[in-house]
Amino acid sequence: MHLDEEELSRALDKPADYGLDLDLSSYITEPKEEVKLEESIVRRAYEVGVDLSRKDSVGSFFQVDHSVLLKAIQKKFEKDVELMTIEEAIEKYDWVEGLMWNLISPYKDKYTAFAAKNRRGGYFIRILEGRRVYIPVQACLLLYSPSITQCIHNLIIAEENSEAHIITGCTHHIKSVKGLHLGMTEIYVRRNAKLSFTMVHKWGPGMDVRPRTGMLVEEGGTMLYNYVLLGEVKSIQSYPMTMLAGSNSRISTNNVIYLSGESNVDLGGGVTIKGPGSKAELLTNSVVTDRAKLVSRGSIVSEAPGTKGHISCRGLMLSDKAEISAVPSLTSKNADSELTHEAAIGKIAEEQLFYLRSRGFRLDEAGSLLVRGFLDISSMGLPKHIEKMIDSIIEQTMKGF
Amino acid sequence: MLKIERLYVTVGERLVLSDVNLEIAEGEVHVLFGPNGSGKSSLVMAILGHPSYKVISGRIIFKGIDITEMPTEERIRLGMAATLQHPPKLHGIRLKELLNRISDGRLRDDGLLRLIDKLRINEDLLNRHVNVGFSGGEIKKCELAQAFALNPDLLLFDEPDSGVDIENLELIGRAMSELLVGKSALIITHHGHILRYIKPVRAHIMFKGQIACDGNPEEMLNQISKNGYGWCEKCISMKKS
Repeated sequence: MHLDEEELSRALDKPADYGLDLDLSSYITEPKEEVKLEESIVRRAYEVGVDLSRKDSVGSFFQVDHSVLLKAIQKKFEKDVELMTIEEAIEKYDWVEGLMWNLISPYKDKYTAFAAKNRRGGYFIRILEGRRVYIPVQACLLLYSPSITQCIHNLIIAEENSEAHIITGCTHHIKSVKGLHLGMTEIYVRRNAKLSFTMVHKWGPGMDVRPRTGMLVEEGGTMLYNYVLLGEVKSIQSYPMTMLAGSNSRISTNNVIYLSGESNVDLGGGVTIKGPGSKAELLTNSVVTDRAKLVSRGSIVSEAPGTKGHISCRGLMLSDKAEISAVPSLTSKNADSELTHEAAIGKIAEEQLFYLRSRGFRLDEAGSLLVRGFLDISSMGLPKHIEKMIDSIIEQTMKGF
Repeated sequence: MLKIERLYVTVGERLVLSDVNLEIAEGEVHVLFGPNGSGKSSLVMAILGHPSYKVISGRIIFKGIDITEMPTEERIRLGMAATLQHPPKLHGIRLKELLNRISDGRLRDDGLLRLIDKLRINEDLLNRHVNVGFSGGEIKKCELAQAFALNPDLLLFDEPDSGVDIENLELIGRAMSELLVGKSALIITHHGHILRYIKPVRAHIMFKGQIACDGNPEEMLNQISKNGYGWCEKCISMKKS
């Protein structure tokens, strides 16, 4: 898509619809030093579910600040999946640019406009027609230089009848105490394709994160979008938008959130259902502690018959100084559409604690077992070893709770 | 094994048990009858030490130790276990994981596997979140499996036969009768169906928060089936006068 520079410049002053407004001039766009693939960086990637030494992955992509340190696809999967930088993809295929800024408007707010003007890197992952790969493609995006802004554009295409798992971890190096991550991700799920996309975020108290995500699901396609956010972050505002364009298409988003410290997070998800017989499900399970604040939004608009939509928001409060707001919204433009939502926010139920104590667990053991249960990821449909890995990351984060 | 002496218990402002006396010797199984709301479940909660059930006077002695003020989990560790009538749902906690943790990792032990098999708890149920979407029978079976996983000396069963179909009743009854050999137990039952499979040595009737009478289980059940609990009121007032 052609970008209108004037309109982009105007959009640079536009705050986002939700979340804390950031002053973009307080970040730098050029890293001060070159980064190398050193051990502390590799370890950090591992903490967000990306094991760069793993042999059982289709391929890996690793970008630190603006530098792509690794992009490799295993030889035996070369006929299944394409993996390259977005710049290489633009170079290689004349249709790639036409798919960019198609599902996200670059003029939406200052973050999209800034990312459009300053794009440096990002991955292009294309699962070829009819190809099914059951081990994951992994990507890690890491912030390294202090005060850096990472402006990334990712493009994922699951071609017709294909199937794949992508796991992507976003984090920062401990050296970087302040930073801004602007990750634009556009995902196309073509006819009868199935894509499972799992993102693990682990940040620090000085990090601001403004991802923008657009997804399009065609006829018979299935998109599973899992998001795991753990620990403290300065601020995140995100609102992935999905268009269920084809008939009998499906999106299921599953957010598992554990927030601590002074985190200020505004997470949403919007789905427009245009294809008859399509289904949308937006699930969020969150645990907040300390002074963390979470707004959990969800919106489903149904315009087609035989469709279903459900929003669920369950929040667990572990501190009186924390805050959760649930803001579900349902709009139906068709009588033959069933839309529902449920939201429940509260502390750990006394009856559950007593029940577990009556099975011999101490009060603290019962509490952590219940909190851990709240952050269950088993319904994400992940490959077993990924599920295990994320489970152990959650376990690690929860240590000492 | 268990001795309850002149126990008075309140929930909030309400007196739910008054002057309850009960003694269960080692290896004895007792049954507790009583109409809805008479205080049967309250007695189980008080024995377990539920924080909302306050003992205002009296004592609960278990294995010779006064447990009246003891935290619930310590009572359990002393060797008691209970099945609850309305257990809560535990989202995100699989039955398999819970059983494994309750039994200190002994889930693969023959005894526990046999019990799981006997109760027809299949892999599907083991992988489901505890009590979430369980049927009446599944809840009871899951409660039983957890209670026996603790390998207790004293078992408290709160309505193990309510809301259970005939087929599951038989499964549960047979499993209970086999597992209770050598153990002490108090079985609460409203309509006594479970007594087709288990023969307690003594019965008690709870009425308006008191033990109204004690006696032979079969005779008492016959009496209740014929006349209901109407007599209990007269009986209590006669005792008082």
